[in-house]
Amino acid sequence: MTEAVRTRGLVKAFGQQVAVAGVDLVVPAGSFAGLVGPNGAGKTTTLSMITGLLRPDGGLVEIHGADAWAEPVKVKSSIGVLPEGLRLFERLSGRELLLYNAELRGIPREEGAKRAAELLKVMDLVESQDKLVVDYSTGMRKKIGLAAALLHNPAVLFLDEPFEGVDPVSANTLTEVLRRYTASGSTVIFSSHVMDLVERLCDWVSVMSRGQIVAQGPTDEVRRGRSLNEAFLDLVGAGGSGEEGLTWLGSSSG
Amino acid sequence: MVGLFVRLKLRLIAGSLKGTSQQRFGFVFSLIAGLVVAIAGFYLMSGLRALDPTLAADVGVVFFFAILIMWIVGPLLMFGLDDTLDPARLALFPLTTAQLTRGLLASSAVGIWPVASLFAMTGVIFGLSRSVTGALIGIVAVPVAFACCLVVSRLVTTALSGALRTRRGRDLMAVGVILLVVGSQLPGMLLNQGLGNGLEIITQTAGVLRWSPTGLAAHAIADGGLVGVAEVVAVALFTAVCAWLWIVALKAALTRADSSSQGGGSVRRSRFGGLLPEGVLGAVVAKELKYARRDPRGRVTWVSALAVIIIMIFSTRNNTGGEPIVWMGVFPVWLGGLVVSLQATNSFGIDGRALWINAVVYAKPEALRADLAGRHVAIALLGAPLICLAAVVTGLLTKPVWIVPAALTGVGVMGLVFAVGSFTSVYIAYTQPERINAFTGAAPGQGGQAFLSSIGSLVGGAVLSLPVLIPVMAGHLWVSVFMPVLGFGLAWLARAKASVIGLRRMPELMADVSRPT
Repeated sequence: MTEAVRTRGLVKAFGQQVAVAGVDLVVPAGSFAGLVGPNGAGKTTTLSMITGLLRPDGGLVEIHGADAWAEPVKVKSSIGVLPEGLRLFERLSGRELLLYNAELRGIPREEGAKRAAELLKVMDLVESQDKLVVDYSTGMRKKIGLAAALLHNPAVLFLDEPFEGVDPVSANTLTEVLRRYTASGSTVIFSSHVMDLVERLCDWVSVMSRGQIVAQGPTDEVRRGRSLNEAFLDLVGAGGSGEEGLTWLGSSSG
Repeated sequence: MVGLFVRLKLRLIAGSLKGTSQQRFGFVFSLIAGLVVAIAGFYLMSGLRALDPTLAADVGVVFFFAILIMWIVGPLLMFGLDDTLDPARLALFPLTTAQLTRGLLASSAVGIWPVASLFAMTGVIFGLSRSVTGALIGIVAVPVAFACCLVVSRLVTTALSGALRTRRGRDLMAVGVILLVVGSQLPGMLLNQGLGNGLEIITQTAGVLRWSPTGLAAHAIADGGLVGVAEVVAVALFTAVCAWLWIVALKAALTRADSSSQGGGSVRRSRFGGLLPEGVLGAVVAKELKYARRDPRGRVTWVSALAVIIIMIFSTRNNTGGEPIVWMGVFPVWLGGLVVSLQATNSFGIDGRALWINAVVYAKPEALRADLAGRHVAIALLGAPLICLAAVVTGLLTKPVWIVPAALTGVGVMGLVFAVGSFTSVYIAYTQPERINAFTGAAPGQGGQAFLSSIGSLVGGAVLSLPVLIPVMAGHLWVSVFMPVLGFGLAWLARAKASVIGLRRMPELMADVSRPT
């Protein structure tokens, strides 16, 4: 098994707060991998450090064997990124955003235009391709962001919450595109806390809790006969149904 | 509730002290600047005592009016002088309008610049009052005038905050701010019509401004009699009316539906994009040119640069009737070059949260170097023709032989600001809020950095240009040929160095330009 991504002892603290406390993430090449965990588990921080957007306090990131922070020349051309928060160039149209990315990546203009046109068609964005990104809806932004991340045909794709706030139709488009992409041997790693989705899509899953990986492996091994949701709740230790306290809640008496 | 708001404001100020070392440095810089303004203002105003009473009163009136204008324009302008609270942020708290009003008013009186202006204003009591009653009136009039400034400033920003939520409103706002800026320059331009009758102009201006709200307050101190009392009452009434209007505006701003998500139409595809070279440089130039016309921040920057150039040309115009000197032909164009290129001092600020798109691609310093060059080329493509035009107009108003030296000087000095700006862009980058929100020009806590970065580059560019500028001013016009060589040579070297630093600092740079606003 070749590894698309491996991190060793990845650490990041913001002041006193330790966001990521020694993450050893492994993702085999060609897998459709899910990074799951409760809010604040450190998923976004981990992905940001792997993709070179946030400097780790310690640890190592390897993408296809190359150190992401020491050998950016090898790594940056082989990864595609869709970070959290839909941060895009707001005053470019969707089409211009794709062409801009193509030029930055050194894709010849003609080839870039061809790829952009095809991606816009697949993402169902042809009608709004000349509208400014600032006027796009959440689903449209995720789709144009994914298109931009795919444009240079990266070997590994990192997506932070790609399905959050996306309508079912757009979500379906996104999953179709991603399935086709992994079928060809490329790797997708996406973070999510929607367990059904991860269970349905992913053949590999890494579970994060409190800044560490608490389980990872093929989805079926992590599940061990349960639903992924049950396995997840066990792993992150979300015991108790919250019946202690909150006695004032629910009666609407004041 | 008032105490809570004041503590909140103090917390916000103290928060900038807890930040990075640049933030602390920026804060100390603002503190020193505020202190200088406070002490110099107080000293100058109390020094009016030495002048003839009528003239002193006139100067006091003009000063008080200027303070009011600064209170209105200041929050709408650059530099994030006042990180005051945006009322929209408090909309969901269960506060009555009365609580909110008192709290916001109190919090806007807290801060470096409010205290500095209040201190400078108190100087007028010493400078203007010529009787005990005058001093007594002053003790009332200054706080009343200060309250007037607070309320009017709040009224204007709150009234505009609704308009600022829509894209069209922001565009209109951009023009509005610039009109205000140009308007505030008018007295200076009028004064420059001839230095000989400057005193007369002060008297004439004061004659009009004396009827402005704060002008009345200043006049009241000088008057010191019953008329003065009546004037203070009038100012207080005006303030009360404005406060009422502000409350109405605040209510409206807090309850009006947000119309910011209304979609816009399509944009035209670029016709000249094909002319640019392929690769990072061309891509960045094309993007920057689009941002200059589509992003309100870009429009504001360019229109205000244009306004400054026009003002400079007409205010240094030869009015004395004597033989024009080289300074008149070259200086406005040189200053125009500095101002136009000032946007290169925070090159990555306009990208903001989208900077990661570039960051995930750039693996070598060469790429970032091309990126910086692209931003400089875009500014030069728009700015250089503007500077040349300014040189032609200035030359026609003074001596046509100065056109070419002035153009060379103005275009060359742009390169010098690019050189300094390459470093400020990678070392003291700051967030430019995407929604020009009239309350601040940088993200909360970064106002000092914004100030430092612009002033540093302005002074840096100016100083670097002296080796060429001084001989030119002395009459050796041919030396101006070296300005573009010096400017663009240094910019070339600076980009090479800054791109290495910038690439190394990329994660920090991204954090600096994408702070929450």
